[in-house]
Amino acid sequence: MANLIIALVLGAFFGFALNKAGLTKYNKIVNVFRFTDMAVLQFMMTALIVSMIGLYGLRAIGLLVFPNIPATYIVGNVVGGLVFGIGMALTGY
Amino acid sequence: MKFILNYIRKETWSPYVAGILLGIVGILAVWASDSLLGASGAFENLAGLIGQAVSPQTFDNMYFNFIMPPGLTYGMMMLIGIFFGGFIGAATSGTLKWGRKDAVNSDEQWKRIFGPQIWKRWLLAFIGAIVLEYAAGIAGGCTSGLAISGGMLLAPAAFLFIAGMFASGILTALIIYRERY
Repeated sequence: MANLIIALVLGAFFGFALNKAGLTKYNKIVNVFRFTDMAVLQFMMTALIVSMIGLYGLRAIGLLVFPNIPATYIVGNVVGGLVFGIGMALTGY
Repeated sequence: MKFILNYIRKETWSPYVAGILLGIVGILAVWASDSLLGASGAFENLAGLIGQAVSPQTFDNMYFNFIMPPGLTYGMMMLIGIFFGGFIGAATSGTLKWGRKDAVNSDEQWKRIFGPQIWKRWLLAFIGAIVLEYAAGIAGGCTSGLAISGGMLLAPAAFLFIAGMFASGILTALIIYRERY
């Protein structure tokens, strides 16, 4: 139960960050594929770097254990990514 | 303090600042509940829930029994949170379009490319969303569930996914925009 409330609160911050970065707008998403607005990449890569440093740092000092990482199955991941890109450019999700 | 309040009211933040916020949320998700961020999985949980109520035989398979068990999951709560978070974000910057006339199709760029008709926007969003959700099912996650939360654990799957996503995204944008690219 506590876990579900944590999820709700974290989700709210997640949505807030997405909205403020402008990623809830069609033009931001599609323009990254046209190389005219790199906000999506800047946002994603900043988030990746911050959480990578945080997670690997916390693990190094023994404060947390990693959950199961998403499974690697090369064909599935690549084909999924390819189809996903079509949907993303179409809808601006 | 005033500076922070004013910054919260801004419509668009620097993507770097918003990215740092998301990074911290990602760390907290792992630290506080041993889970990853995600959005697309919740729809599959919901679909499973509805499907098992409507036609239990069809949904009694490996995928819905073990990979994506239906029910009120962590991901679904997060999705509800994302909705309200986005809501709050728009409300603080004064761009909330709830009930306004141009609420459905307010994107200038979209109108320029596809036209001002609202049904077109709905149709394209619906078709695109089916494609998205299906692809997320194949790959094992979406932009948030695989690319960001997998990437922050340095999972190879995330980087394969990002590469595929950009390759076909660029191609699709090229086809849609053609000479306006």
